[in-house]
Amino acid sequence: MKKITNLLDAVLKNTLIVLMAGLVFAVSWQVVSRYIFTSPSSWTEEVARFLLIWVGVLGAAYAFRTGVHLGLDVLPKKLSGVSAQILKLFILLMVIIFSVAVLVIGGGNLVVLTWELKQYSAVLGLPIAYVYSIIPVAGLLICLYALAAAMGEELTAPEDSAQPGS
Amino acid sequence: MVVFILVSTFVILFVLGVPIAFSLGLSTLATMLFTMDFTPAVTTIAQRMAGGINSFALLAIPLFILSGLLMAQGGIARRVIDFSKAVIGSLPGGLAFVNVVSCMLFGAISGSAVAATSAIGGFMIPEMNKAGYDKNFNAAITATSATTGMLIPPSNILIVYAVASGGVSIAALFVAGYLPGILVGLSLMGVAAVYAKRHNFPAGERVPFNVLVRCTVAAIPSLFLIVLVIGGILAGIFTATEAGAIAVLYALALSMFVYRQLSLADLRQILLKSAQTTAIVMFLIGTSMAMSWLLAYENIPTIVANTLINLSDNPFVILLLINLVLLSVGIFMDMTPAVLIFTPIFLPVAVELGMSPLHFGIMMVLNLCIGLCTPPVGSILFVGCAIAKTSISQIVRPMIPMYVAMFLALLVVTYVPELSEFLPRFFGLMD
Repeated sequence: MKKITNLLDAVLKNTLIVLMAGLVFAVSWQVVSRYIFTSPSSWTEEVARFLLIWVGVLGAAYAFRTGVHLGLDVLPKKLSGVSAQILKLFILLMVIIFSVAVLVIGGGNLVVLTWELKQYSAVLGLPIAYVYSIIPVAGLLICLYALAAAMGEELTAPEDSAQPGS
Repeated sequence: MVVFILVSTFVILFVLGVPIAFSLGLSTLATMLFTMDFTPAVTTIAQRMAGGINSFALLAIPLFILSGLLMAQGGIARRVIDFSKAVIGSLPGGLAFVNVVSCMLFGAISGSAVAATSAIGGFMIPEMNKAGYDKNFNAAITATSATTGMLIPPSNILIVYAVASGGVSIAALFVAGYLPGILVGLSLMGVAAVYAKRHNFPAGERVPFNVLVRCTVAAIPSLFLIVLVIGGILAGIFTATEAGAIAVLYALALSMFVYRQLSLADLRQILLKSAQTTAIVMFLIGTSMAMSWLLAYENIPTIVANTLINLSDNPFVILLLINLVLLSVGIFMDMTPAVLIFTPIFLPVAVELGMSPLHFGIMMVLNLCIGLCTPPVGSILFVGCAIAKTSISQIVRPMIPMYVAMFLALLVVTYVPELSEFLPRFFGLMD
């Protein structure tokens, strides 16, 4: 299990870095093309919005893996022993239920629907199903990480050198 | 009934420690399953989540997060502090003032209250401890003044409000935030002044003119980011989202070529960190949007509006009620979901009372800033306490006068629309 999650971590991190860099590039290109080449490009806005969905949804899996989603940790910190273990498993179960129901089934259904209805994006003519396909993928990743956490892996970042600070 | 299921499932999950975004999504799902079949319910939520994130205005958020992280790397905190010290450090209790002003400036540059607390607090809290200030006071004043960065632009939460309100101009909101943000900063300095007088802190040394000039020059590249971004938006040269991209390019150039403190490995880490922070916000936006859609679908905003207006016909009282509700929400809930869920509920009431959506947004954000520095939720408090090596229970006492000061500022902002509307009118951004 540990081997699989480590491999996934590496792939996930690199994908997020590339997506984020792409997002910055797309919006920057929009400004540059308008003011320097005076011909505003039309694809940049669409690409940037789609990249935002990918960063937001896929990044949510990474944020779950690193344990940084916002929440109230008063009760989990107060408990210890068996009751802490039960609470932890309950929280993970809730995360899995949401991910399976909404992200995997709901998101998967959304992909199928937009594919069958032949929905394409306005500028690039990209199938909307491609954009939404990240939702079930992220859902599966979150489930996998939640299972790994249930089996004892910590939900923290192994190294976090980019903390905002001095 | 619908509200009961929604609120009770949310509160139970949240208190048990399920992350807010998941609690919001699950309580929305549980409520929808009462009136809908499983497949349409989950598909609708997934669609509302993706649709909620799919917005060009929201794209400004990852860009400002990234530029904030880049700016936080390059020793900017130190330069901002030296500049504030040279300007106001000689007043009695000067170090506390320096702390407040540095937090305001850094909060604006970095767009993050947590980053401001850790970066400015990291320098100022130990220094104030050494000068004899109480460490609990130091942690408290850093955390509270760091929240002013939410009002002083560029500010991500104002962008979220612009989206939630369905069309208030981001440029107008940005300039509207200045005076209220400065008012909060001044009120906190008032608290610091009383504290300094009571403890007889000596005035700092007046700095020679050449030091003042040197510190100002050193701080100019950092502070110029604000001028570039806000100036560009006001002049209509670029949109808020494009300004975000400009901020990233500027911060990148600054840290790579001027400060030379950024390696390629650092850049990868910063990109990853900003994707992570973006995802936390976007995932919250997604599930909040789903819940907000459900509330609208169930006609909750109209019901709340009618109830409030029947309760009293005095605008003064209704606004106070709204503020009290938001204050209690802010104690438990993060700003982003609070803005997304409560804007559609309260904004129509406020507009009915003759308030402009712009003014309401500023009031709401300032209100939620108070909640940002109250336990049990509030990451800035934890960061402040960790730096000052104290605990939440210890800093509550020195916090009390600061809460009072912030609440008074909130009342002024609520009942004096001019404070929020003067600058947007002056720049021709509202009529």
